Amino acid sequence: VNTLELRDRLASRARREGLASVAYQTVDSPLGPLWVAVGPRGVVAIHYGAEPSEAEIERVLRVYGPGIIPDRRGAAQAARELDEYFHGRRRTFDVQPDLAGLGEFTSRVLHATARVGYGQVTTYREVARRAGNERAARAAGGALRSNPVPIIVPCHRVLATGGTLGGYGGGIRAKEFLLSLEGRDSTVTDRARRTVPDRAR
Amino acid sequence: VEVGAGEGPPVRPDRGARTFGELIERYDREILAYALRLTGRRADAEDLFQETFLAAFRAWPPPRRGNERAWLYRIATNKAVDGERRRRPAVSIDDLAPAAPERDGVTMLDLAAAVRVLPAGQRAAFVLHAVNGHPYTEVAQVLGCTEEAARARVSEAMKKVRRALQ
Repeated sequence: VNTLELRDRLASRARREGLASVAYQTVDSPLGPLWVAVGPRGVVAIHYGAEPSEAEIERVLRVYGPGIIPDRRGAAQAARELDEYFHGRRRTFDVQPDLAGLGEFTSRVLHATARVGYGQVTTYREVARRAGNERAARAAGGALRSNPVPIIVPCHRVLATGGTLGGYGGGIRAKEFLLSLEGRDSTVTDRARRTVPDRAR
Repeated sequence: VEVGAGEGPPVRPDRGARTFGELIERYDREILAYALRLTGRRADAEDLFQETFLAAFRAWPPPRRGNERAWLYRIATNKAVDGERRRRPAVSIDDLAPAAPERDGVTMLDLAAAVRVLPAGQRAAFVLHAVNGHPYTEVAQVLGCTEEAARARVSEAMKKVRRALQ
């Protein structure tokens, strides 16, 4: 019995009736499974792991209600673009991040981060400055760690001011991986290995 | 604090489903299996499956948190009874293959007889108790009757099934 097909059929009927507004699916990636959720205004969440965290579910629930449903078709474009990105065939995303339900500063930090291009890096202080408060580098780091849409909002491109890696919600190895995928390996990661203990494992 | 890649949330089986997705992920297989046993036909079971979950979404939230399972069974049972009022199903043994019972002592023939001879309400009682192994308290909950009435319904159903097989 193929329940995935039944789930897809259920999802499309639920969507037609206006009962569901957020589609999700688990996407395989070189960094393990990613839980990807797509709402009416774009990608609501990407989570490192097959299941969303409590905080992520709470946020999506708060913004969109309980109509969050497994739906491969609804999440297909985001899944495809992520796959292309991980295969080095995509540098910018056509799907938009949906940052609804976040605080104002967090949202401004993430919007500033979204403008950092493929293979480029910036610092916590710089995104804090662009978000309107240069002295809030630490708060900017916090905002980035709660980034609900990593990869598409490329918080992996934001480093500590000294050039070390800083932190990453998906684990420091994921950050290293993404940076090297974008062609920025040796210098930054070697320095980071010496100075940042890897707390992700 | 770093969050490790692939680290899932704590499992909380006691907590009710908060989203439709959680409801589907927890119960879709079980409800499909139940629908197959109730209807005896693949296409009808899939329809019943869809109707059950859509009705649950429309009626959301569940009447009691943490009791979504019995709620879904109840919706499925009511839908099956309603559907039955509109048409009597024609069932062949082949149709029942995907609904093969899991419990000792209940054969596919029993199930075929149940689907053929029992009205939907009694069939639900038979499937829930004799095939799926739900205790009478749960059967009562699903059927919306007392435990005593559930026992009576199951026993009546068993009698009819045995008679049909003689």
